[in-house]
Amino acid sequence: MTEEDKAYMHWLYQAVGMGNRGLLRGLETIGTPRQIYQMASSGELEEKVSRRYHNKITYVIESVAGYDVPGEYERIRDRGIDMVTVAEAGFPEKLKSIPDSPYVLYYMGGLPVAGQKTVAVIGARDCTEYGRYMAGQFGTQLARAGVQVISGMARGIDGISQQAALRAGGYSMGVLGCGVDICYPRENKELYDALTKQGGICSEYPPGVGPRAVLFPPRNRIISGMADAVLVIEAKDKSGTLITVDMALEQGREVYALPGRGTDPLSRGCNRLIRQGAGLVSTPGELLQELLADYPDREELHQQELSFLPKEQQDILSLMDMNPQPAEVLQQRYKEAYHRHLPFPELLHQLLQLCAEGQVKQVGGSYFARCPG
Amino acid sequence: MLSTITSGAVYGIHSHLIQVEVDVSQGLPCFQMVGLPGSEVREARERVKVALKNMGVKLPPVCINVNLSPADLPKSGTMFDLPVAVGIMIALARIPQETVEDTLLIGELGLSGELKPVKGVLPIVQEAARQGIRRCILPAGNAWEGALIQEIESIGMENVDDTISFLLGHKTESPLVRHDRLSDLEAIREQNMEENLDFADISGQEGLKRAAEVAAAGFHHLLIIGPPGSGKTMLARRMPTILPPLSMEESLEVSAIYSISGLLQSAASLKRTRPFLNPHHTVTGRALAGGGRIPMPGLISLAHRGILFLDELAEFKRETLDILRQPLEDKKVQIARSSGNYTYPADFMLVGAMNPCPCGFYPDMGRCRCTPYEVRRYLGRISGPVLDRMDICVEAMPMEFHDIVDHERGECSEDIRKRVMAARERQKLRFAGTAIQFNGDMGAGEVEKYCKLGPDESRYMEKMFVTMKLSARAYHRILKVARTIADLAGSRDIREIHLSEAVCYRGMDHKYW
Repeated sequence: MTEEDKAYMHWLYQAVGMGNRGLLRGLETIGTPRQIYQMASSGELEEKVSRRYHNKITYVIESVAGYDVPGEYERIRDRGIDMVTVAEAGFPEKLKSIPDSPYVLYYMGGLPVAGQKTVAVIGARDCTEYGRYMAGQFGTQLARAGVQVISGMARGIDGISQQAALRAGGYSMGVLGCGVDICYPRENKELYDALTKQGGICSEYPPGVGPRAVLFPPRNRIISGMADAVLVIEAKDKSGTLITVDMALEQGREVYALPGRGTDPLSRGCNRLIRQGAGLVSTPGELLQELLADYPDREELHQQELSFLPKEQQDILSLMDMNPQPAEVLQQRYKEAYHRHLPFPELLHQLLQLCAEGQVKQVGGSYFARCPG
Repeated sequence: MLSTITSGAVYGIHSHLIQVEVDVSQGLPCFQMVGLPGSEVREARERVKVALKNMGVKLPPVCINVNLSPADLPKSGTMFDLPVAVGIMIALARIPQETVEDTLLIGELGLSGELKPVKGVLPIVQEAARQGIRRCILPAGNAWEGALIQEIESIGMENVDDTISFLLGHKTESPLVRHDRLSDLEAIREQNMEENLDFADISGQEGLKRAAEVAAAGFHHLLIIGPPGSGKTMLARRMPTILPPLSMEESLEVSAIYSISGLLQSAASLKRTRPFLNPHHTVTGRALAGGGRIPMPGLISLAHRGILFLDELAEFKRETLDILRQPLEDKKVQIARSSGNYTYPADFMLVGAMNPCPCGFYPDMGRCRCTPYEVRRYLGRISGPVLDRMDICVEAMPMEFHDIVDHERGECSEDIRKRVMAARERQKLRFAGTAIQFNGDMGAGEVEKYCKLGPDESRYMEKMFVTMKLSARAYHRILKVARTIADLAGSRDIREIHLSEAVCYRGMDHKYW
């Protein structure tokens, strides 16, 4: 497909309305987008299309007036946006095979490499410290092993895993529910910029389309469709993440989930997936072994060697977990465990020492959480 | 004939003595007042005429001219009624001029001749004493206010007739309320201590109580963040019980502001505990800072030397909070009006309380329903410069069942106050001869001078600076608070343990995300 053909494709794709793939396929049988444009401007198009579709193509015919085909295409190209149609060789191979595959993909940066393993790392937007940490770990380790990370660039798990993958020097693709020229959510601007340089951003929606709730569920099929496997880090019982999982199953992708504690609302979705048969992975290594045949089987050490810490700090650390706890709760736990009252300033001092060692994280004022590994 | 009487008026927190000059001369009967009198001052003419008549004094048909000097200061208030009435009597030669030498006269007249209490007596009498006046004649209802000033004799009068009799040396009809001084001031103040609130009432919340103690010791502004029902308000209300009691001078300073506002009703209003004000979050900026055509002190001035508690800080309008910026910096508030600039002191401790997020449960992600964006937006409602002034920021933790049911009573306020006072003594010694009173008042320059760190501590702070991603401003705040913590511990030098605690209390700049 030449650049010129693409310009006409860009016009046609917008003119039929991006949801109407059936019409697009139908028109394709009549001629190339360029021919359709000429027919529409000369008035021939109506004759070629059966009467039933006349009202559907009125907008196609109307849109010809005042539309500058090469100019509009130039405009998106100038902004660094590329487009690829499903008929082209460059279109992601895995995505071609899914039912309801997108007709056109707009993208910035690069598309995922076909021969390489690709994993979609997805999860809740409002994640816990645990989820935050695990998303980062998976992102980093997958990238180091050369696995491409696909996600939705959303707040929470999505963004964290992608950010981590890029920082580890890997490739990551963000699939958006709006035009690729719009950074949504805005707070992920840093990630958005990094993705356009080091990874990729893609969307089936033409540039300029704003984020709307109805546009997001369909893009989830692209996330799972591009990947070999889908990993769920954290999800509530009812979560948008589970839509992606359903799509992945429909597309025949492997689904993995990270287990969590039974009491944790943000792990309930994951635990249920495991019960229903999703693969259980608790470390990046476990996932990599499943994905890559030659990945060495080695014991991963989560627990860092603590022996260099003073006894008191070790004791305090043993009382903490990754859920942020108020210092007072730790004081109480300490008293229960060691039968000694630790004065408040002393406790804060020890906690801060642990912060400086990177063992503990201060989350908002007097709340502290453990940083594993 | 001409007479001159000393009276006074309040301008902002400052008072001026006003000379009331009365001239009586032959001519067409008239009664004129000059010297920028406000309408309530001008109305003195009618009140004085009728009051004198009802007291049985017959005014001859003469031309009366009254001048209030200095004539370029605008006068307001009703305290000139009595001096005008007495001035006329002197000008008519019914009373000798010598009887009012070195005497200050203040009072509003009723039509029957009775003397009614007026606002702002205390600051005027203070000014009079400073200028060497030895005696003041006041409405009986204000006499005790005059008596608070040691150097001046305060005489309370029921009506204008008694005043004339007294000046002539005759026996007065109603018993004379005469205070040489209120010698039992301390006893009165002691009685007025609020005894029913105590820190021991607060169960659990060790961290919160400790932070409150540090704030009280160094007069640091305090921000309490916590879920609903965790005792934020309860704690703030008890803050005055651990602050050192007001000294006699401070007590008079605070009382003067209350006197101007007309809130000083009786000796029982003279407090030893520090003022505690908690305006509702719908309060207007003017009510907070003071204002009006003739400015009156606002809530921040009424909280002078005490606590201004803003509950649900995030619900206050941004403009309202921004008004606090200048007073927090200068410890006074200036109000400009066409009639002049008015200054009121406003050296208060700001205690703010707020929820961490709209639903109140962040960072408990199991219960918090808010998105990070919502949390950030909620905190963002408070203007940065106001947050910057909060030296200590602390979280109240959610109450557990056992905290409510079987808690041991905590330490009582009196014990905490003892430690606070000891820390204050150390600060007094340190800042002797400077304008600074407390660690909380230190600026960047003073922090450099008074919060020197040893080599080990410097290294420790350097490490903290990097790992905790501190800002330069946060660094100074931490040193200030660490100084107070060291003072509380009785340590001359700031040690690592003091710094650690201060780091935990640092403001919110980097704390949330």
